[in-house]
Amino acid sequence: MEEKILEILEEYCEEALDYTGDNMMEEGVIDSFTVINVVSELEDVFDIEIDAKYVVAENFRNKEAVIELVRRLLEDE
Amino acid sequence: MKTNFERVVIIGYGKATGEILKYAADRRPDYGYVLQFIEHEIHALSVTKQICEERGIPFASLPDKRELGEYLGKIQEKTLIVSASNNFLFPAALVERENMTIINFHNALLPDYPGRNAPSWVIYQGEARTGITWHYVTAGVDEGNIIIQKSCGIGSDTKAYELTETLMDLAYDGFCECFDGVLQENAEARPQGFSPKRRMYRSTEIPGDGFFDLNEPPEKLYRLLRSVDYGKIGIFPPLQMEVAGKRAEVLRYRKIAPEKRTEGADMLYVPFADGMLLKIKYRLL
Repeated sequence: MEEKILEILEEYCEEALDYTGDNMMEEGVIDSFTVINVVSELEDVFDIEIDAKYVVAENFRNKEAVIELVRRLLEDE
Repeated sequence: MKTNFERVVIIGYGKATGEILKYAADRRPDYGYVLQFIEHEIHALSVTKQICEERGIPFASLPDKRELGEYLGKIQEKTLIVSASNNFLFPAALVERENMTIINFHNALLPDYPGRNAPSWVIYQGEARTGITWHYVTAGVDEGNIIIQKSCGIGSDTKAYELTETLMDLAYDGFCECFDGVLQENAEARPQGFSPKRRMYRSTEIPGDGFFDLNEPPEKLYRLLRSVDYGKIGIFPPLQMEVAGKRAEVLRYRKIAPEKRTEGADMLYVPFADGMLLKIKYRLL
């Protein structure tokens, strides 16, 4: 799962893989349009629904947060 | 460089607003105006507050329309209001004030597609090109004189949010090109003129009235799906359709090659003439 998420991030936002900070959005590593693409791809690949309430800067603060979000959603399925 | 504007107020949200805010902040030393940002619509992924904090720009959040109108009405200095990705309609009394000049970015090539959600409507109507318009604001909606326009193509797979992003980039470029002229009050602006295609789109309107028939041509279905696709930004409610006599709503869709076809619950495929498939994941209501 983790590998697949990293592949998706790499496809839409390569810089996210090297980012080691705690706020990708505020630091301009990832923008809101890229988040839309990443969410759409995650939904398709993992066949999950990512509700709009989860699409917030906190869940896209770094790659670990994205992985954690998907893990949580898969567990809730 | 000289301007008679003492204050520049930026109102809006999104990528273009953030970039315009940074640009206007960097130009403060050239003209000496006071810059201020007003957030009227709050978005979960917005970073404008952060930009303001970093660059020492006064930030105010005024989500209430009446409060915003009253606030702007109290400004006494000569002021330029930059309305970038903003859905607040400026009251006529404010627009007509001597000390106010308001410019607005509209996400279509005016006079065509005035009103709301223009990127959706150009995709839905199958336009090959669209663009942006910076114009002076008058009492009518999207009717003022045009300062600058920039155009772009619409790809056959372009979704509403992707087109919006392209238009925001164009809006930023256009703003940088016309900002000096606007500040120096020598920007050449032309009237919009007449267009037979002009029709005002309202916020309550949804392409296809929000419903589609699976028997319609797949290209039309795909265009409709793309036209309302803003990802998780719920601009429109999910599209609805009928599956085996039951009402269903679209969760997501994708154009895929036949070899990528997988079977799953609540999923259907519509073939395109070229062999590609329109994959639609839905939920029965």
